[in-house]
Amino acid sequence: MKIRVAAVGDVHLGEDIRGRYRRRLDGIEERADVLLIAGDLTRHGTPEEGRVVADEFRDLPVPVVAVLGNHDYQSDAEDEIVALLRDAGIRVLQDDSTIIECGDARLGVVGGKGFGGGFAGKCASEFGEPQMKAFVRHTREIAELWHKALKSLDTDHKVVLSHYSPVKETLAGEPLEIYPFLGSYLLAEAVDAEGADLFIHGHAHAGVEKGVTPGGVRVRNVALPVLSKAYAVYCLGGEDPEPC
Amino acid sequence: MSHEAPHHVVSHYDAPHYVAARVQRALAADERTYELGIRVDIRGDQLFLRGQVESVERRLLVATVAGETAPGLKVHNEVTVVEVRDPGEEETL
Repeated sequence: MKIRVAAVGDVHLGEDIRGRYRRRLDGIEERADVLLIAGDLTRHGTPEEGRVVADEFRDLPVPVVAVLGNHDYQSDAEDEIVALLRDAGIRVLQDDSTIIECGDARLGVVGGKGFGGGFAGKCASEFGEPQMKAFVRHTREIAELWHKALKSLDTDHKVVLSHYSPVKETLAGEPLEIYPFLGSYLLAEAVDAEGADLFIHGHAHAGVEKGVTPGGVRVRNVALPVLSKAYAVYCLGGEDPEPC
Repeated sequence: MSHEAPHHVVSHYDAPHYVAARVQRALAADERTYELGIRVDIRGDQLFLRGQVESVERRLLVATVAGETAPGLKVHNEVTVVEVRDPGEEETL
């Protein structure tokens, strides 16, 4: 049973570009069964920008699932932004899951913002100052919640939606020095423990689209500057001879 | 009376390395930009900006904030606007 997943991240909407992205979503129902948005919906994280995002993605002919990104926290209005999006019919994941029915197939989406810390062998650890412990603990707790959410899903396909990256491969092109601020291997480890069809993330504007976790889960960086197109479409269930 | 040559004082604070860092910090923190992904390089009296933003207006604001933060340097705005094409072929996984 195939499901077509459209995905994009880092649209960074604001009043100055209101309506421009919406035009690109015309006909999405012919290309995809669901749209996933991988955070950094706004530029400043203000409620005003949240309203632009809600208007841009409301009443689409396919379900829309989103997570927030670091920019969406900048004005300490993330709860208000989440409420605005939900009022517009957009499902917002905050370290939990949702199930989407696509004909006979069921798609489970797990995720949230994610966070950083770095990658195995070259990462921060919960040691030393309280600030450093809190930094790493935040990512660890997120990974634990995703692990539980994935474990509880019984669907035909599972996708993880995040802002931060689980692997280094999709960061290629970013300065090495900032990798710990772009993602964490703890996110990959949690997902590899339960398995998933696909891990979608954004955040790394100078990165590349394709990677894979150590456990073999495909990773796709869908930051808008990486894609250079309105959204990417991934067809899950490729072994099924029926076309998407 | 001293016959020593005039001593030219260069503040370490104004070393190109720190000026570039200040510009990068301003681009990330200034409410007109909030751009985290702009690369800033200084060569002599020239400042180069590279990266991508979402609109022409945002591209101009990046140069404005950089120019205000590093007065006296000639700003070369090589930032481009993100190209958004129509969705292409799907990928089967």
